[in-house]
Amino acid sequence: MDFIQAHAALVYAIIGLALPIAMPLIIFQLVPLLVVVERRGAAFIQDRPGPNRAGFAVPFLGTKIRAFGIPYTMTDLVKLLFKEDFQPPFKVSRFYLLAPAIPVICALLTPAVIPWFATIPFLVDDKTNYLVGSMISSESGLLLLFAFGSLSVYGIVLGSWSSNSKFSLLGGMRSSAMMISYEVSMGLSVLGLLLLTGTFDLSKIVEWQGAHTWGIFVQPVGFLLFLVSMFAECNRNPFDVAEGESEIVGGFHTEYAGVKFMMFMTAEYLHMLVASALMATLYLGGYGLLPFPLPSFDSTAGGWHMVALNTDWLKLHLGLICFIMLTVGGIVALYAAYLVNGRRVNYGKQKAADQASRQIEYGLYTKAFGGAGIGMLVLGQLALWLMNTAPIDNQIYLIESATNQHYFPLWVNLLTAFVQFNILLGKMAFFAWLFVWIRWTLPRFRYDQIMALGWKIMLNIALINLLVTAVVAKALTR
Amino acid sequence: MAKVVPRPNLSFWEQVYFVEIVKGLFTTLKHAGKSLTDADHLKVINYPDVAPVVPRDYRARHRLMKRADGAPRCVACFMCSTACPARCINIVAEESPDRHIEKRPARFEIDLLLCVFCGFCVEACPCDAIRMDTTEVVFAADNRKFFVIDKTKLMDWNPKDYPETDIQSQKAPGGSKNAEALAALTSGTDH
Repeated sequence: MDFIQAHAALVYAIIGLALPIAMPLIIFQLVPLLVVVERRGAAFIQDRPGPNRAGFAVPFLGTKIRAFGIPYTMTDLVKLLFKEDFQPPFKVSRFYLLAPAIPVICALLTPAVIPWFATIPFLVDDKTNYLVGSMISSESGLLLLFAFGSLSVYGIVLGSWSSNSKFSLLGGMRSSAMMISYEVSMGLSVLGLLLLTGTFDLSKIVEWQGAHTWGIFVQPVGFLLFLVSMFAECNRNPFDVAEGESEIVGGFHTEYAGVKFMMFMTAEYLHMLVASALMATLYLGGYGLLPFPLPSFDSTAGGWHMVALNTDWLKLHLGLICFIMLTVGGIVALYAAYLVNGRRVNYGKQKAADQASRQIEYGLYTKAFGGAGIGMLVLGQLALWLMNTAPIDNQIYLIESATNQHYFPLWVNLLTAFVQFNILLGKMAFFAWLFVWIRWTLPRFRYDQIMALGWKIMLNIALINLLVTAVVAKALTR
Repeated sequence: MAKVVPRPNLSFWEQVYFVEIVKGLFTTLKHAGKSLTDADHLKVINYPDVAPVVPRDYRARHRLMKRADGAPRCVACFMCSTACPARCINIVAEESPDRHIEKRPARFEIDLLLCVFCGFCVEACPCDAIRMDTTEVVFAADNRKFFVIDKTKLMDWNPKDYPETDIQSQKAPGGSKNAEALAALTSGTDH
């Protein structure tokens, strides 16, 4: 441990170098999970069990592990990879091949701007260095993100044009027109928040939210407008006129098959994840824990006082936070075990052809979830217990500089970064579920309704919101 | 004549639309939560683990009715094959050994791959010889020829599988007369 602490700077450097590669890959890995959530979520909303057949045959268990439909994404992948690469003879060749790559690349570039954890200060030769939570932390952060997001529509338009098919072209035209309409209100809705924070840098926006309160509380109207714009930006229901499968076959990807179609779909889901991360960062405090300071009792400081739950507080109370998160996770896992056991009993009632293997399989799930739940509860207790016996405060080698900067050991910093990343992932998960949830609740808007909503309603509300925010901000800062 | 659909009078909160969206979201969330926690709530048949219950009057695979002596009730009148829109019934008629019956089918074939299960053959039949109440709706085979079912397959059914109250399915009209006629034929008293 001392050896690692002695070479902390090297570890930070390696992490800083690995992040730009690791982060897009982590986001990429969430795509198949989101697909499963979408399919099973749709099924549950429609009162059916959804995809639950494909699974891994495990030879020694006498059953196959179906893992709640997760293998379906793998089978989908295999199917799409080995499908005949059909290309229409009337396509415009170069652009047709180029088009599916553009949205994927744009979507994989966007995680670079989002701060995944708080900036970690550390000392090298008594000089302060920083490991920044986002790969690009500059004043152009949000603009870069919008630029990447807008570029992805080029893939759709290019694909639809080069497919040389009328359905594709209609889809592409719809998509581009919608993108133009909604980018206006998207930019204007986020301007209100930018007025208050005074920066385009997403890291600073998150820090501002940690110091004041979350963006959703200061800009509720802006949040709603931004949410709707993001749905339009991601081409999701109720704004999926670009695809519009009931009207124009498949929209822009009518003529695409196999891997190229898969890339369009992957890009759509990547965009959803990035949009979720962006909404969480802008309006739900990013990696921040709570939107308001908590009253805390401190006998040395003389009674009750309000404590802002910033990163330093998080690092000082890491044991408590780990305890809370692990306990909540453990309870959720135990409830999942209870639910799965209920399903096992239910399968026993039915005349299943392979009842025995189902019983084994669901027994395994029950044990796995139960074990994970108990393990998390024990780990949470351990975290709390460790904090009680050896508080992190004692381990801080406080070298207070003039800026009142705290320095923490390597493991505290990394664990905090992990915890903050998980908090952001949780908020992302909420928005990702919102995407799925909305899709299976609302019907698709008609094209003229979308245009009317974008230009006649949302643009006006965004402008009024911006005006009111500007006046109020000016009045408050005077 | 064009029907005028009146525009619904929406209240202010309905026009705002967000409130209604939130209401709808809670409706779907209720369904999702119930489906997640209660397996009995899923309104599906777990086919093929569990065989679907097909009602008796559901238009399923055909069967040919029998007389009391086991002969087909069909008189090879070609009414069913004429009524068939899919032209899936192929009948070859021959002379019946029973003097009271003019014809009987030498071959009676139904191509299930062509059949559209419309039930016109059942309605067209003048002597209730063909029915579609076997409750067999799922056919699987690895060769097309298995889907062409002939007279033996069509008449291969057990009276125990059909309700007792359904007299028609057990006894053919004129079945006893047919038996009497057969008995008279063999004893040589008739004509």
